[in-house]
Amino acid sequence: MTHVAAIATYLPCWGSARGRVAGGDEDAVTLAVEAGRAAIDAATGGGSAGGGEAGPGGVQRVVLVSRELPLLEGGNAAVLLAGLGLDPEIEVSERLGGAPAALDALTSARPRTLVIAADVQPCAGAAAALVAGSGLQVVPAARLARSLPVRTRSAAGEVHDYGDPRLLRERGALASLASLASLAGDGADKPLAFAGVDARQAAAVCAGQPPALPTTGASSALFALAALAESRSSGPLFAAEQATVSGVRVVDGAALVRRVEPAARPVPASTFTPGKEIPVSLAAYERAFSAKVRFEAGRQASTGELDFPPRYRVGQDGTLHTDYTLVPLPRTGTVYTGVTVRVPVPGLPTPYSLVIVELDDVGVRVLAGVTGASPGTVQIGDRGRMVLRRVAVRSGVPDYGYAFCPEQPEEATL
Amino acid sequence: MREVAIVGAGMTPFAEHFSLGIKDLLPMAFAECAASVDKGLDVADIQAAWFGELSTTDGFPAGILADTCGLLEVPVTHVENACATGNDAVRNAVMGIASGFYDVVLVMGADKVRESASKDTFWEWAGMTRDMAWDYPLGLVAPANFALHVARYLHESPATREHMAMVAVKNHHHAVSNPKAQLRFDITVDQVLNAPVVVEPFGLYDCTPQSDGAAALLLAAADVADRYTNRPVRIRGVGLGLDRVMHQHKRDMTTFPATVRAAKAAFGMAGLTPADVDVAEVHDCFTGVEMISYEDLGFCSRFEAYKLVEAGATSVGGSLPVNPSGGLKAKGHPPGATGVAQCVELFEQLRGSAANQVDGARIGLAHNVGGPTAVSAVTLLEGPAAVG
Repeated sequence: MTHVAAIATYLPCWGSARGRVAGGDEDAVTLAVEAGRAAIDAATGGGSAGGGEAGPGGVQRVVLVSRELPLLEGGNAAVLLAGLGLDPEIEVSERLGGAPAALDALTSARPRTLVIAADVQPCAGAAAALVAGSGLQVVPAARLARSLPVRTRSAAGEVHDYGDPRLLRERGALASLASLASLAGDGADKPLAFAGVDARQAAAVCAGQPPALPTTGASSALFALAALAESRSSGPLFAAEQATVSGVRVVDGAALVRRVEPAARPVPASTFTPGKEIPVSLAAYERAFSAKVRFEAGRQASTGELDFPPRYRVGQDGTLHTDYTLVPLPRTGTVYTGVTVRVPVPGLPTPYSLVIVELDDVGVRVLAGVTGASPGTVQIGDRGRMVLRRVAVRSGVPDYGYAFCPEQPEEATL
Repeated sequence: MREVAIVGAGMTPFAEHFSLGIKDLLPMAFAECAASVDKGLDVADIQAAWFGELSTTDGFPAGILADTCGLLEVPVTHVENACATGNDAVRNAVMGIASGFYDVVLVMGADKVRESASKDTFWEWAGMTRDMAWDYPLGLVAPANFALHVARYLHESPATREHMAMVAVKNHHHAVSNPKAQLRFDITVDQVLNAPVVVEPFGLYDCTPQSDGAAALLLAAADVADRYTNRPVRIRGVGLGLDRVMHQHKRDMTTFPATVRAAKAAFGMAGLTPADVDVAEVHDCFTGVEMISYEDLGFCSRFEAYKLVEAGATSVGGSLPVNPSGGLKAKGHPPGATGVAQCVELFEQLRGSAANQVDGARIGLAHNVGGPTAVSAVTLLEGPAAVG
């Protein structure tokens, strides 16, 4: 039996009631970090997981389930752990999978495992569940792997759609579900929620009105679990991907639920100008990584002064000071100045806004892009928080860092 | 320390010189400089050269200058100090003479911005000036560097976008009569305000064009200057100032401390004050930068640049004309050449032969700020005494 202490969900602010769209600076890893940090915060009652100490929320393992892992070679573990503020010694499993895989990851997880599922397409969202020694009890109920590859994607990203939605509807998840029900006999409960399928299919097989789910991929299973935890319902929860289905039974207990689901807003108009690839220095990337992706400053041992980015210093007597320690920076601040680039810049979607943010109480400023607000809407004096985003893709390398997300995005163009 | 004078000055027009390479522009500027020397120049008199260039297009800069200008027998030093390159090349050459090492030296500046596709320029130039891991990937293109300052400046000072537009109108007007200028047409405040936005708060007409060009100065020790001219322009002061490179480390972005430092050094060396300046060539890569620079150079009090603009004080005919050449804004801005060309303009202004002459100008100031926005160079010149 698995106990879930906390569940958190994250939706990008862009899109509509029909589905959310990941921002141009979001990918499965940044989505996962948003959900994962919220789950840790919910479990610890904190506002920020912080870094440094090993395993905020007692997390000892992380499982990321997605079909859209950015780095299929090399992996995403280091960025994921850094973004979550977790120790780089923690084990990370990256699982390629959809909604059934997310349920399987949950039921096979040992306590102190953070299970995160993230989706970018067709609808973006992420959800995370912190498995613990007590909490909402979930047991595995059924599993059936069947093949109906109506949509395929090769390792190179090439997509083929078979183009027969009725075949999928009739011989896909519903057929698998019927097959499982016939195995279980007449006493089988109808599911309370059915993740990985569209709302109409879910409503057709569920008892009562199933929870509306914002995605159909891996995260949909954990969005469904969050809904059941909120309504204190016990019963079966199924999840499908094409014709493969997994089921769990939510038994008893309670989980803390935190939702980071801002209201949906239309995606701002944007232009992409092709150009040369933006060059990257991986030597510079590697040197900056910890400070940049963990959002940490260097504190000089001799003076206690903070440097961001961390740096060597030379004293008035010519002595070289290299002995700084990395310390987490506050993640809230105020815009000191800001601009909006409207001229087309090859390789970047324009327009985009850049701000210099004065972080709270530490005398440190940060130059950052703006996320979660239309370009040109952030003003000097605005408050907000720093969040992990993919700030650029340079010569094929996703470049992660922190962006400024205003507290109250104003949509009027200023 | 020996006094140093400018005895010759010349430049190519600033333009999109698609048909001319750096190897063409350098000898063109050099020859015009040589031709300007009142009593003539024997090239063999030149004992050393300093060459300011930011980005090389056809090989290593010092060698290109020596080769194209026939200066194979003398040492040539490449100077690169971001947009302060030109006036820093002047400063280095001044030291060469002031120290007693040389009597006659050449200073050149050149750049060929339009040698690469205009769409690639942003990243090429950002790569030279920004931290590779931290700032570069954010798309901190050249106008954005300065816009971060000007946005804060507009927030704190009474200046408005209209004042910035008035600077653009002024500098365009000054350029109309300058045959060397790139943008020789008048514009209106409305045109500036309604132009497409490049990076807020800069519209298209708030920004310098992309330019190619070269400029040259012949410097001589004051005690030998009369071999070349009876009307030398003395170099009274030179100064270079620096500042923190990353914008997040600049505590007050309504000012350029690099300029304050450079101006302090130059005025200190010259024994002059800002009130002594009769004409100035000020770094106006973006209109708001000219306004901030009025304050940093001491032409007015903090946040009062708008008053000079409103009063027309910095137009030709005003009390302190700024950028009679058209400035970077309208004359053009091939970065390595810019500072040298400012001194070419002032050489003519102080000798009474400028295309857009400021009456009775005796003290001139040239100013660059760049490396967005971490370096500045200031040069103070004094014209020959009025001769009967």
